[in-house]
Amino acid sequence: MIKLKNVSKLYKPETQALKDVSLHIKAGEFVSIVGQSGSGKTTLAKLLFAEEKPTGGSIVIGDWDISRIRRSEIPMLRRQIGVVFQDFKLLQRKTVGENIAFALQVAGDRGKRIREVVPQVLKIVGLSDKIDRYPRQLSGGEQQRVSIARALVHRPKILVADEPTGNLDTIHSHEIIQLLKHINSYGTTIVLVTHDRDIVNALNKRVITIQEGEVASDMEHGKYKLS
Amino acid sequence: MFTSTYRLFKFAIQNFFRNFWLSFVTITIFILTLLTINAIIFLNLMANATLKSIEDKVEITVYFNIDASEDIAKASQGYLLGLPQVRDAVFISAEDATSDFREKHKTEPIILSSIDEVGGTPLGHAVVVSAHSPADFPFILEAIETPEFSPYIRNKDYQNYEDIIKNIETINGRIQIGGIVIAGFFGLIAIMIIFNTIRVAIYVHRDEIGIMKLVGANDWFIRGPFLLESIFYSLLATSAVMGGTFLFLGSFETQISNFFGEVNISVFNYFLDNGLLIFGSQFVVLTLLSVLTTWFAMRNYLKV
Repeated sequence: MIKLKNVSKLYKPETQALKDVSLHIKAGEFVSIVGQSGSGKTTLAKLLFAEEKPTGGSIVIGDWDISRIRRSEIPMLRRQIGVVFQDFKLLQRKTVGENIAFALQVAGDRGKRIREVVPQVLKIVGLSDKIDRYPRQLSGGEQQRVSIARALVHRPKILVADEPTGNLDTIHSHEIIQLLKHINSYGTTIVLVTHDRDIVNALNKRVITIQEGEVASDMEHGKYKLS
Repeated sequence: MFTSTYRLFKFAIQNFFRNFWLSFVTITIFILTLLTINAIIFLNLMANATLKSIEDKVEITVYFNIDASEDIAKASQGYLLGLPQVRDAVFISAEDATSDFREKHKTEPIILSSIDEVGGTPLGHAVVVSAHSPADFPFILEAIETPEFSPYIRNKDYQNYEDIIKNIETINGRIQIGGIVIAGFFGLIAIMIIFNTIRVAIYVHRDEIGIMKLVGANDWFIRGPFLLESIFYSLLATSAVMGGTFLFLGSFETQISNFFGEVNISVFNYFLDNGLLIFGSQFVVLTLLSVLTTWFAMRNYLKV
């Protein structure tokens, strides 16, 4: 599903964010990428949805070598990969329903399909009753659910979550992880970037540890090992 | 396709109203620029009409001696009509000339009594010559001085309109230059304002733009509304100026005609006949200007 081969990323003038990273993430996997701040894990996530381009090596998603992706192809890639961030990235002047619909509108989907899909994804994340609320009227956990719902509207095969629980308390963090597991159970590959020890240990899924831009460990049912 | 176009327009209209005052100022400057240009067109039109009116009035009267026969005068008329520079040459008989003279000076008894004293027709025949262009008069004046007619010519009355024409042309030229400078000044301000308007719009929408990119909006979908917004500015400014021009000219047509006196031209009809060309070209140029400025602002501030 996702193959990284000898991927490196150098930020000029001399910050080596990633060094010779090689990975293979299979379809339907739930993978946690852990590492300390500045280890390169977020850079790795950004490479997956073409927010950054690798300096060297190749990244293949499905049959698509995105390390050589053209600028005009990026929107197409992003409709196939859902992305969730720590700060939710919701439009405060739009309601929950409008925020989700926005992702479909910019992709050119018709109104009829939008009216069908929005309630469906809101049902998945358990926010059917909040469709007309504004983000400021929701808790942090609920806002992150909206963000996940928006990431799901294009039915992505991969969902990249970059520190999705970073702004949440333990209870809401747990809810979000349960939701990601639920989405994973439908076959969506989840790439979770986090430094939350408890979450990683509770998941008991594959854990890739990044240290100083390199893969320090890659374990099938791993634990958070960093101090 | 239709859905995407509809949304581009929708987002562009949203941008327009969310930055209403910036949009308003931009359109106002556009309007001032266009008004200046149209004022130049109007003044140019009036100046040309005035020149034409004066040129039409310029004529030479060739007065013949009293003893010059009608045949000589009519022969000179024929000769003059044969010159390509001559628009018309009208023969006026001595009797008509005297009668006209009397009519002209009917309130001046001293002159009238002098004529009566001389008796008969104190004036000779005359030929009134008009030219295609006032610049041709020196040539015509020289051409009539042939051995055949010269001995019979008493006088040539040529009111020199050249100075008047030159003055009008000079004033018109200065008005045009002044107008172009003012229009250029407003144009420059318009460019700076639209550049800033789009820059602010990009700043205001930075979160939205970031999310658009995140969820897979293509370049055109992100840039399109800003370009459309700049086209709206041009369209609204041109429409306002067009409406205002017709309203003004339609309402004050009589006053304008009276003000310019004998200049026989309907400015309203002129703008009506040439409106598509005048306002169409203004819209096209303004749109090109604003789209290019927007594109330049996006290139600098919108990283897609």
